[in-house]
Amino acid sequence: MTRLEATRRLAATLADDPVVASLGHPAYDLFATGDRDTYFYTWGSMGLASSIGLGLAMAQPDRRVVVLDGDGSLLMNLGSLATSAWVRPKNLVVVVWDNGVYGTTGGQDTATKHGADLEAAARALGIPATATVRTPEELDRAMARTRAEAGPWVIVAKVEESAPTTKPPQDCTYIKQRFMAAIGVRESD
Amino acid sequence: MLTDGASKSRLGSGHILVRPTESNGARLVDATVNCPHMSPPLWALNTCLGLHAAGSRHVVYVPDNPLSHVLAVLRDRYPDVQTTIATREEEAFGIAAGLYLGGQRPTVMLQSSGLGNSINALTSLLVPYQMPMLVLISMRGDAGEWNAAQVPMGRAVERICHAIGLQTTTVASAEDVADTVALVGKTAFMTRLPGVCLLPRRVTVPAPKVVA
Repeated sequence: MTRLEATRRLAATLADDPVVASLGHPAYDLFATGDRDTYFYTWGSMGLASSIGLGLAMAQPDRRVVVLDGDGSLLMNLGSLATSAWVRPKNLVVVVWDNGVYGTTGGQDTATKHGADLEAAARALGIPATATVRTPEELDRAMARTRAEAGPWVIVAKVEESAPTTKPPQDCTYIKQRFMAAIGVRESD
Repeated sequence: MLTDGASKSRLGSGHILVRPTESNGARLVDATVNCPHMSPPLWALNTCLGLHAAGSRHVVYVPDNPLSHVLAVLRDRYPDVQTTIATREEEAFGIAAGLYLGGQRPTVMLQSSGLGNSINALTSLLVPYQMPMLVLISMRGDAGEWNAAQVPMGRAVERICHAIGLQTTTVASAEDVADTVALVGKTAFMTRLPGVCLLPRRVTVPAPKVVA
């Protein structure tokens, strides 16, 4: 499955769950499946999507928080998995689109193409609930499990690179404001 | 570190020094760090008062030695403040960003050396998205430093912050900490940008008074 197909499949399983999308192609593909106010698109801070998701999951324990990360991005911040495993938010679901390449920067190989196993890394760092999926049906089943079984979850989805043709809104404060309003949070004043 | 027969005095900062006696000569012993039987230093008590007054109930941090006093005060006296340790300062800013999105008013605590690990989070997440948080930086490399490796970043902290659009405020004394931290925090949350408060070494690790 391509990342776009997988993203479309995953978006169909979301209700009003807040989603944090890693910069570049994961965010572009999420936007392409149909923009929602509950989507927080990052435009920088490579590697931090899972950390943003952790903070959000701590602050909003009654919502299932979904992070769409990339293999290259997660490799930048593996410590995030150790922290999440320690904090143990039941409601955090980190989905890693693992295509073995840095898709947004021209397709250079990542370490997962050469043996790095992100599900095993997540397990080793203490993440209690993990899966590796390769088909749309496996992705559906894993996402269904995240509703029934406590996280934090790391789901490594093996995907092929897709070539996004659209981009999400580029005004960062707009993205933030509408996201916070959508989940019922007031900005500080 | 306290020797029998030495007379102890508790300074305003909770700092104990051993006055010169016949047995220890003129040696001054810095006993500030990690003495569980001591009352917390005033600057650390005031740091907690300040961040609490700014409305912060969640602190994400990478520890350093002076900050251990703040963490001990939070643990012992502020059950309503949650603390989360990060593996790296950049990660701490990411977690704090998520906390803000979720309705919290987070504080990030780090040592000045960790600012170097945080630049991309600050410049490509917190500043463009206008995510406020109180940032408490325990300074290294300023007056009182003993480690040359800490000096270059310590000297650059303010200029780096200013270059990326962040205001810095340095606390003047242990007595001043609560008001300054509270003010920087409130300003950050009102204006929706990270507010940086610098805790210099002369406050967090005061040198023993020179005794004649």
